Amino acid sequence: MHRQWNLSVIDSPRPVVKLEHVSKRYGAFDVLKDINLSVLPGDVLAIIGPSGSGKSTLLRCINWLEPANSGIISVGDVTIRCEEVPEKSRLTALRRQLGMVFQSFNLFPHMTVLRNISLAQERTLGRSRKEADAISLNLLDRVGLADKAYQYPVRCSGGQQQRIAIARALALDPKVMLFDEPTSALDPELGLEVLAVMRELAGSGMTMIVVTHEMGFAENVSEHTMIMAEGEILEYGPSREVIRNPKTERARRFLRAVNDR
Amino acid sequence: MIETLLMGVTWADVKTWLPGFWNGFLISLKLTFVSLVLGVPMGLLLALGVQAKTRASRLTCLALVEIGRGAPALVMLQFVYYGLPSAGISLPAFTAAAVALCWNTGAYTSEIIRAGLDAIPAGQKEAAEALNLSRVDELRFVLLPQGLRIAVPALMGFSILVFQGTSLCFAIALPEIISRAYDIGSMYFFYFPALAVAGLFFAAVCIPASFLVEWFEHRAGAYSRR
Repeated sequence: MHRQWNLSVIDSPRPVVKLEHVSKRYGAFDVLKDINLSVLPGDVLAIIGPSGSGKSTLLRCINWLEPANSGIISVGDVTIRCEEVPEKSRLTALRRQLGMVFQSFNLFPHMTVLRNISLAQERTLGRSRKEADAISLNLLDRVGLADKAYQYPVRCSGGQQQRIAIARALALDPKVMLFDEPTSALDPELGLEVLAVMRELAGSGMTMIVVTHEMGFAENVSEHTMIMAEGEILEYGPSREVIRNPKTERARRFLRAVNDR
Repeated sequence: MIETLLMGVTWADVKTWLPGFWNGFLISLKLTFVSLVLGVPMGLLLALGVQAKTRASRLTCLALVEIGRGAPALVMLQFVYYGLPSAGISLPAFTAAAVALCWNTGAYTSEIIRAGLDAIPAGQKEAAEALNLSRVDELRFVLLPQGLRIAVPALMGFSILVFQGTSLCFAIALPEIISRAYDIGSMYFFYFPALAVAGLFFAAVCIPASFLVEWFEHRAGAYSRR
């Protein structure tokens, strides 16, 4: 038997994503109200909740696709104070650590699948075309789509496109993967193949924040689950606990609605 | 009726006009070429300029576009050819025509290109940003290839208009097709037949070109179709 050293005593795990008092307004409407959140390395966090609760906005604030109005966002050792306009270099350093997968895939339709995955590697990491393509092909193999490398995205099903989008994000070696309702645009069968890839990714130790309506994924794959409504965190904790025994009435109502389908 | 209009002009007469028309036709083509080769890149710059972050560049580009689109091409031509000499800038007819039509082309194509860029789904820009592409790379690799592809049929259609627009240059005595027709008309009073031949020259280019645009329009949409 190996003796498992508890390294956390020496090097206590620091959260890789940390939000402190993050708020966001659209005009007079508060989308996010004083959000505090820590995600440890290797954690898989599912964010669930009704539409308009601010889940997607929260995710998009983390990589500054949408600027938050106040609070502090830290990813790795990059910290952004939301009241200030961050310099380009800081934004780049922030996004460098984050991969993002969108609901609508957002592959570049005018490039082959391989180019989709290789382009940013060459432009942002300085990899050569050869290096990048080798990495891309490897990742395509990992998501089960090696045969699609030279096709255009329109030739791929939605589920395949989303798996390609995951490979594209992974190619930049992110520390954290953000998923914004990755299966919502897919029929249940195609959603399944995307979820399988995500499950494999979670198993490999990737830190993931997943906005989703897939309760199965939240309960069985993610370690933690967070329920949001009206821009606030209603519940946060180990997934099973949050989903089986929600403490707030609002969360119970939401989960009832989900289970009634 | 037709006989009265043709005024007894025979094929032999038309044949003697053809070399002159041909030279005029070449001038029109050359002018169209210059206007497009300089005007379309200018349109691209203006399209990017009106969306720039700096106020000064935004306003300058906006002014250039609005003047170029607002003023009729005929007015621009006469302004450059007859107006600018009072400011000490005298240009030969061809150069003056090129300047005026370039401005016009730049202004109109900037709007076509801007519309092409605007038609790209917002998710494309977001994906580029999330992948950490720089603003220049985002334009170069993601937005322009898609936006221009959307704009190409409209740009080709506009090119036909530029070619037709060169006919206005008779007003500044540039010896293009219409000027030649006027010369023949004023010499022999054969206005109708001369202008009809001039029209044939335009038709010979514009009709095939518009079929080409249609074909291209069909083809350009292909990559987004299954």
